[in-house]
Amino acid sequence: MIHFSPLDWIWLAIYLILMTGCGFIFYRLGKRSEADFFLAGRGLPWWIPGMSVYATHTATDTPMWVSGVIYKYGLRGLWYTFFSAWCAVAAFVSARIFRRSLAYSQAEWQSLRYGGLGGELLRGWMSGWGSFLNMFILGWVSMAMGKLCHYLFGWDNWVGLIIPSLIVAIYVLSAGYWGVVMADFQQGIIAFFIIVFASLWGVRVAGGPEAIVARLNALGELWRLNPFHFSGFFRGDFPLAWFLTMLFIAILGGFGMGTSIDWYAEVQRIQSSKTVRDAAYSIWWGTALTLTRNAIWAAAIIAFFVLYPNITEASQYEMAWYRIAFEHIPAGMLGFLFAGIIAIHFSTISTHLNLGAVYLTRDIYHHYINPEASERKLVMAGRVATALLLIGSFIYGLMMEEITRWLIFALWIMGAGMWLPNILQVIWWRFNSWGYLSAWIANLGFSWLVVWILPAFGVIPELPDYLQFWALMVLTALVYIPVTLLTPPENKLHLAKYYAMTRPIGWWGPIKKEAQRLGLIREEAKP
Amino acid sequence: MKGKKFLGLRRDWKPEEADSWTREDWLAIIISPLAYALLMIGLALLLFLRMDGLIIFLMGVGATILLHLVIDPKLRALSSEYEKKQREYLRRLELLVRWREDE
Repeated sequence: MIHFSPLDWIWLAIYLILMTGCGFIFYRLGKRSEADFFLAGRGLPWWIPGMSVYATHTATDTPMWVSGVIYKYGLRGLWYTFFSAWCAVAAFVSARIFRRSLAYSQAEWQSLRYGGLGGELLRGWMSGWGSFLNMFILGWVSMAMGKLCHYLFGWDNWVGLIIPSLIVAIYVLSAGYWGVVMADFQQGIIAFFIIVFASLWGVRVAGGPEAIVARLNALGELWRLNPFHFSGFFRGDFPLAWFLTMLFIAILGGFGMGTSIDWYAEVQRIQSSKTVRDAAYSIWWGTALTLTRNAIWAAAIIAFFVLYPNITEASQYEMAWYRIAFEHIPAGMLGFLFAGIIAIHFSTISTHLNLGAVYLTRDIYHHYINPEASERKLVMAGRVATALLLIGSFIYGLMMEEITRWLIFALWIMGAGMWLPNILQVIWWRFNSWGYLSAWIANLGFSWLVVWILPAFGVIPELPDYLQFWALMVLTALVYIPVTLLTPPENKLHLAKYYAMTRPIGWWGPIKKEAQRLGLIREEAKP
Repeated sequence: MKGKKFLGLRRDWKPEEADSWTREDWLAIIISPLAYALLMIGLALLLFLRMDGLIIFLMGVGATILLHLVIDPKLRALSSEYEKKQREYLRRLELLVRWREDE
């Protein structure tokens, strides 16, 4: 437990006033229209959504997760965080394609890419899944905050789960995405400064960089500073096969849409940027900041390791960064540090509240229930949807006990069997809605089977995560490839319109010709 | 192909040319993840005052600058023309559907 001085409370109070103030300042902008409430009018320069990308992907549970992999694997653990490098390619491929589509959400994009009943089914399914997923993320991130408050102040978990989210709700309900993105901008700066300060302070507490290296040497643990210290090709705790699989998933994943769970939040940042160039730079720089932040965290966690090298319980070493920060920060800075942690938490909660509400409002209420709704009604529907998600997240949060297990399973459901279909739908014109829909259904079934059910009954051994990925990718493909080829292609006129709008990369030759034939795009001059 | 070049890569684009996927895009796709990896690993090692960390980090900064030189002219051309069309479309759309308090 920690004790706050009056100065610490002042830091915290200033910060909370600053954040909730965003709701009042941007209230008039947020209520103007659906596009303002969910996309800030599509007019933001790249550095605002870019900082929002960084802030959103710095959640309360992120330091716990990064602490877990760095304490266990040393600097090799940084590669676990390198999954976010899908943005390296996505910034220049899928962000460009998505920004040109003008879709509010990934669910809406599905109905632009696919036509007819299949397209509508996918939009309905994606919006339902998106709403659920955001509620789920809100639940687990809030629970991480509950645990942190219990560790810091001894409060019951439900206090940290509910109270901070209620404060966030003030500015999300008032100003929608305007409130989210402007608060994120401030939160991102505050959180980055705090992370740098607390981490470097932690390195100093452990004796400084040279003393840490000397101590690692004395412990026989110098390998922890080698990010390429593999344990074999398939053997050991850090096989080369895992590393290559990770690079494959992360880098090629950038050609698709939805190959990472984070894509769904990036979509809103991409579409709120004022140009294609701003969209590309927002996710590139937001992710660059995220990866450099991980490197700074890693230094502090290795400092923690040399101070406490014998911790074996994951639940204890996952608190490494929080412990070195809170237990050693100078007097009077504790409140500032906690304000930084609150900033991290608020940015994630606000993003998922507003993003979940996009699906419920734009894709369900506006598209299916009330297509003629006025902008006033749509903004009101957005606020009601935000409130529903908030209540749902409290229920989910109270049901979850172990953060990491849920997090990893959710990531696998999204990432493994759906990884290739999410790329194919962007790069291959022949991939149709029935193929994509069947991939979703097959992936849900196979994920449960391969990850939990079959190993539990001893039918197959418990596979390492990278082998689970390959198994799920192949099994799911055995369903959706035949389904795609045995069902008719999408309507060519629909695809030609989509092509003219977004100019996708990959195998679109017949559709390009059709778009030229229809006069939707000009024929290229022969050299 | 016509136009100014830098290391054999185009620096000036007409919007309709920038719509196509060209070798500048593929080069950006290759440099970009490399820049991320170099920045992340370089900085982590640099924080332990290692010389290899400094070299890797500087290579990451260099890769980032190169990425910008390769792709920025194309992104600018792509954005300018498309955004003009989109602005007009959205302006009309928003005028039709925007809720006004005084109504």
